[in-house]
Amino acid sequence: MAIKGNKVNPTKFDKSQIGFYVWLLPLAVLMGAPIVYIVCHAFKPMDELFAFPPKFFVTNPSGINFTNLFQQAAGSTVPFSRYVFNSLVVTAAVLILSVLISTMAAFALSKMRFRLKGAMMEINNLALMFVATAVVIPRYLTISFTGILDTWLAHILPLIAMPVCLFLIKQFMDQVPDSLLEAAQLEGANAFTIYLKIILPMVKPAIATGCILTFQQVWNNTETSNLFVSTESMRTLAFYMNTLSGVGSVQGQGIAAAAALIMFVPNLLLFIISQSAVMNTMAHSGLK
Amino acid sequence: MATKEIQQSKQEIATTPKKPNRREKIPHENRHRITKRKMREWMYGYIFLAPWIIGVMIFFVVSMFKSLYWSFYNVEVFNGVNTYPLAHWYDNYVSVFTLETDLPTTLGSFTISLILQLPIIIAFSLIIAMLLNSKIRCRSLFRMIFFLPVIIATGPVMSMLTAQGVGTVPMMSDGSLSSLLGGLPAFLSEPITELFNSLILILWNSGIQILIFLSGLQKVSTTMYEASKIDGANGWETFWKITLPIVKPIILLNSVYTVVALATSGDNEIIELIYAATYTTPWTKGYEYGMAFNWIYTAIIAVILVFVFLLLKEKSDKNVKYEKRLVRLR
Repeated sequence: MAIKGNKVNPTKFDKSQIGFYVWLLPLAVLMGAPIVYIVCHAFKPMDELFAFPPKFFVTNPSGINFTNLFQQAAGSTVPFSRYVFNSLVVTAAVLILSVLISTMAAFALSKMRFRLKGAMMEINNLALMFVATAVVIPRYLTISFTGILDTWLAHILPLIAMPVCLFLIKQFMDQVPDSLLEAAQLEGANAFTIYLKIILPMVKPAIATGCILTFQQVWNNTETSNLFVSTESMRTLAFYMNTLSGVGSVQGQGIAAAAALIMFVPNLLLFIISQSAVMNTMAHSGLK
Repeated sequence: MATKEIQQSKQEIATTPKKPNRREKIPHENRHRITKRKMREWMYGYIFLAPWIIGVMIFFVVSMFKSLYWSFYNVEVFNGVNTYPLAHWYDNYVSVFTLETDLPTTLGSFTISLILQLPIIIAFSLIIAMLLNSKIRCRSLFRMIFFLPVIIATGPVMSMLTAQGVGTVPMMSDGSLSSLLGGLPAFLSEPITELFNSLILILWNSGIQILIFLSGLQKVSTTMYEASKIDGANGWETFWKITLPIVKPIILLNSVYTVVALATSGDNEIIELIYAATYTTPWTKGYEYGMAFNWIYTAIIAVILVFVFLLLKEKSDKNVKYEKRLVRLR
């Protein structure tokens, strides 16, 4: 039916909406607290950062933390932009590759018949449960064996396989009706066409969710910079921000607050972008 | 059976040299068509799965088997990794329980708090997702507010916030709650008090679950709600008869995600124990001890997940395939 006319936001305020607001507004205040806090904290001058009892809101906002942060950054041997560039390249590469690989694998695991399918799913489930920090040494050995230590690949490859992402997308694909795929097959579509034209558009909400999850993990990841990379100019922004906040106990606190806000903003932007992708694919299962 | 086929096909290759690639895969002439089709079908599966398999094999399976292998040996990490055999193959696993004397209580309280947190997170995120899925103004803004705390929750900011006591519910944290729980045994009342103390933290951490529910709710056709409304169903009935059955597979997905996220998050005390055992050099208990500990922990999470699966799995197309069947009948 008229999907185009199915507007996301209602145009008029209706009396029936009040009930929702009664629930949503207090909860939103509760949930919004950390966001407000992280912004306020970054703009607090020194005396307010260390005030006791600690304050939630900022009274005299100042940019001193940011000035300190950039001064510190200007003094380091590797330019700040290099870290940003590294982070952007790594995050973009992981995001694209991991979505591509996860959706392809999920399509195969969800809709195709082949030998060892169950075993593959079990491997993924095991990967899901396994605590990643415990395999750091074997993983380091693998990476040094493949010879990608100290390159961008050392940042990218270990993070591509996101078991949670695959599990999420696969679970959503299970709900795509088989009859739709059959219909497409009758029309002469091969597996790749079905993947591109039917599967991908239909699991768009799951993909967007997976993207947000992956981005969050990769963008904030300090482990790969810590372990697999020894050249300073190959490390990522998250790692640099972490080292900055460790510098000097008093100034470090303010710098850490500013750094937290800077690291947070890209998450916000990505969420806003992908959010519209999730929410505009309004309810239509593809079958009428 | 399989080896016979291979032998046969090898003979065939030897006798009929034309098109050897094809012949290798097709042992019986009479099953020619089916096998070929099957092969094609399987081939697509493998093609789509190939990049994932390669990545997982190299970066995950190899490391995992190494850690499993090491957990049965006496390991020395010095200029590479050297392994020496133990008196018994299970010695590391035994020493986990003998050296970590308070392990059973820690594990017990962890499991109980997990079981308590899971329904709260699921119920809360489902309610929020349904509220956010309804037609109201500023939906995108609300969605953002409810999702974003999870990003901050992973960072160092959260520890500052909790230090200020923001995470507790003020009315519940004091005497009233402890007097209410007075009758319960300690192993139950402690996790419950803990739960109330970190209630807001739990809610802040449920952003991903809300998002997963939301993307699941997007698929529920509005026509179904309209139809039920015309038939005279009220909101309560609509929820139980339409929303819940459709969302049920997502509840399973979300529960699995929640268990995994809670169990493997860095600020979990058992993970801290494992981390300390594995990476505090010089190793007092040995690197292999950490490996064994980790495998025990993985097994426990697996058991919890199996329970979750059994509890929430789809019961033979009675409820869940409802939508699917509806569509097919038309």
